[in-house]
Amino acid sequence: MSPLYSDQHLRVSDAERQAVTDRLAEHFAAGRLDPAEFDDRVGRAMSAKIRADLSGLFAGLPETGAPAAPELARGGGGTPGDAPRGTGSPIEFRLDAASGVPTYLQLVHQVEHALRLGYLKPGDQLPKVRDVVASLAINPNTVLKAYKELETKGLTAGRPGQGTFIQATLSQVALPELTGLRKTLLGWLTTADGAGLDQDGIVALFTSALRDFYERRSGSRTRGGAASGETEGVA
Amino acid sequence: MTALTMPARAEQDASPRPVPWRRMAWVTWRQHRTALTGAAALLGALAVLLWIVGLQVHHAYAAAAACRPAGSVICYGMFGSFNVMDGFLANGVILQVVPALIGAFVGAPVLAREMETGTFRYAWTQGFGRRRWTLAKLVLLAVAVTAAAGLFTLLMSWYYRPYFAAGNPTPQTPLFPGLFALRGVAFAAWTLAAFAIGALAGMLIRRVVPAIAATLAVYAALAFATGLYLREHYLTPLLTSNPNVPGSAWIISQQWYTKGGQPASPSALNQVLQQASPQIAGKGGIPKAPDVTQYLMQHGYVQWTSYQPASRFWPFQWIEGGWLLALSVLLIAATVWLVRRRAT
Amino acid sequence: MSMNVIETSGLAKRYGRTWALRECTLAVPAGHVAALVGPNGAGKTTLLNLAVGLAAPTAGLVTVLGGRPPGSPAALDGIAFVAQDTPLYKNLSAGDMLHLTRNLNRRFDREYAQTRLAELGIPLNRKAGRLSGGQQAQLALTLALARRPKLLVLDEPVAMLDPVARHDFMATVLTAMADDGVSVVLSSHVLAELERVADYLILLSRGRVQVAGEVDGLLATHRVLTGPAAEAGDYAERLSVVHARRGEAQAHLLVRATAADPVPPGWEAHPVGLEELALAYLREPGAAALPGPARARALPLETGPLETGEPSEVTR
Repeated sequence: MSPLYSDQHLRVSDAERQAVTDRLAEHFAAGRLDPAEFDDRVGRAMSAKIRADLSGLFAGLPETGAPAAPELARGGGGTPGDAPRGTGSPIEFRLDAASGVPTYLQLVHQVEHALRLGYLKPGDQLPKVRDVVASLAINPNTVLKAYKELETKGLTAGRPGQGTFIQATLSQVALPELTGLRKTLLGWLTTADGAGLDQDGIVALFTSALRDFYERRSGSRTRGGAASGETEGVA
Repeated sequence: MTALTMPARAEQDASPRPVPWRRMAWVTWRQHRTALTGAAALLGALAVLLWIVGLQVHHAYAAAAACRPAGSVICYGMFGSFNVMDGFLANGVILQVVPALIGAFVGAPVLAREMETGTFRYAWTQGFGRRRWTLAKLVLLAVAVTAAAGLFTLLMSWYYRPYFAAGNPTPQTPLFPGLFALRGVAFAAWTLAAFAIGALAGMLIRRVVPAIAATLAVYAALAFATGLYLREHYLTPLLTSNPNVPGSAWIISQQWYTKGGQPASPSALNQVLQQASPQIAGKGGIPKAPDVTQYLMQHGYVQWTSYQPASRFWPFQWIEGGWLLALSVLLIAATVWLVRRRAT
Repeated sequence: MSMNVIETSGLAKRYGRTWALRECTLAVPAGHVAALVGPNGAGKTTLLNLAVGLAAPTAGLVTVLGGRPPGSPAALDGIAFVAQDTPLYKNLSAGDMLHLTRNLNRRFDREYAQTRLAELGIPLNRKAGRLSGGQQAQLALTLALARRPKLLVLDEPVAMLDPVARHDFMATVLTAMADDGVSVVLSSHVLAELERVADYLILLSRGRVQVAGEVDGLLATHRVLTGPAAEAGDYAERLSVVHARRGEAQAHLLVRATAADPVPPGWEAHPVGLEELALAYLREPGAAALPGPARARALPLETGPLETGEPSEVTR
């Protein structure tokens, strides 16, 4: 069955060729390729015009940093109706249209959640952009934005011609810190309760403060300056 | 934000090669095969009818021509019965509607159906381009119907030949309006014109059924106008005062004139005839026409006949075919121009 | 790709005495899904017809695919259009429609089309008129995509489809965009599903463009401020309010502001969703937010309409 609308015919950029060459160099430095093979593969990489030319350059070479990585099938298209396992990603996205959370953030959160729960491990591949688009009917730019956000956070890395892969885990907070945070939180909850706030009120206040906190933090990250102070009155 | 890049700089990029014309052959056939096969079926059925009846007509003529002694009353009677045989097709009126039907049912839906069903929104946004699409379709269909009509004309010419044959004592005039448009190039030309009228009507009216109706109406008006008025004047009619006008000539008008050159009124003529000898006046017998004519001429009256001789059959055919062809080309060009200009 | 798939300048179209579109100036970039939104009669179909060459402008200019005239061979070649009610030749079979489209275009990926129709369960020998609404829409879309266009223009493509068919249709469109880089311009008067799909928004109201810009930018520059109704009037002077909704004690103001702008004391700021934003503008015909060419001036504080119907300035 011929692949439908596969991307194998798309042109590769200089950056992608360079990235492939760099990775081949790593394998060569590690001793997995002898000089002749290395020359041959680098030659093919540098003269590659379309993505199909780049496939097979890593034949027989393991993924770096993941000795027990699952099989990553290069399934470009495959047979329609296959289970998602065929595409090679352990996770599948879902979308909650009514949640009010922007779509790309939902994807980011789901990846982070999957990482926390162990569905995703470093070296795993995220679902291909076109597969996400095909199953959720969302804009590909949204998926790209989510994947870029994950890359900015350092959680993933894109490999040209292959896909997006997990490369780090979420930073773990140490147990004593967690205990301390919990204690502070309980103290605050006691105060709020004493001030007359009911459960919904507490949740509303907390959610709004959380949002403002992250907005300001990403704002200051992009602007490089402190956001203006804000007086938060009691609702 | 992307800066605006007005004004258009289309010249900088090469236009893609146009889609080849020959692709329209399948497109035209597939979209209009119902109409085309309908037209073919109509012509086919009529052809069968013409063939069957035509054989009978030819046999009857051959029998009458072989009758001996020639000129006798019996043989003359055979010719007479032959000539009135099959009045259904003899005066050709039935077959006159065939070009109209073909033109209306093949030509009108081409554009009218696209506009009515909205499929022009598909057809005119394909790579082929709306102008070339229209032109290709109309030309292909025009050639097809004209060729079919031309072939059919051969059969009709064969059918009607005995009526015009030299051996026929009372031949029909080849310029007889009912039959003129069925023979030579006229039939094919009328079919083409009907098609062109249909195409333009379809584009103007944009609904199939009203366009068909309008095509039939316009065609009928044009056909009548041509047969009744226009055709007589393709070439200046000949005038003769000779009472013996050949039977194969197409008589346009006949009028008695007085010695002074004034048209004679029928009442005046009757008065004169009253004074004629009883033989002529009608007492005890029917006056023979040559006798009446002789008598009036003896009394100074002149009958002027304006007519077109049979020899002008082919010149008239070319003239009629010519202006119909020009008209068709004009109408098709107008249709294509309208398609190009027309906004939604 | 940095070209604009559709550019207009002062575009206007009149039918008889009615102006269907006026003073329309847009620059829709490639590589996006641009949603053309507006109530019925706003001029969406008119604008799309002008872009694909089915109509000619009364005034102004429109060019497509980086400066080409609509209806020119290059434009016809690179744009695939699916009109409202997906016009197909109803008495032609699906296979005939394939063959027809192949004959009328330079490029046609027959293999893709046949594979796709097989996937969808559309038999090639069934007449197009006997397919269901969803199947007809998918057939028309398949034919359009098999032409490998640079721009896909869809006029209310999902209006008549049930939810599953809608989902499948949009999934097909977006997958084509992911695989092949097709740009998409689609019109819709259903706002709810746009947020997932559109990343460029054009709001048309009564023949005029109210909003045109990237969705991310629009959402980042609008917020809802919620606070005491009594104070709403005061702040309306200083904030650029698009739309206000008031109860007895509480008011919501949808304003043009970013996350960095100060929130008035005692007020809360919320981010805005695409549907809410679109509705707010559509309810205020006088309000407009056109990006226009980049300007150096800072955002001036100005009076916006506050349910009085006063027109507001179009500046940033």
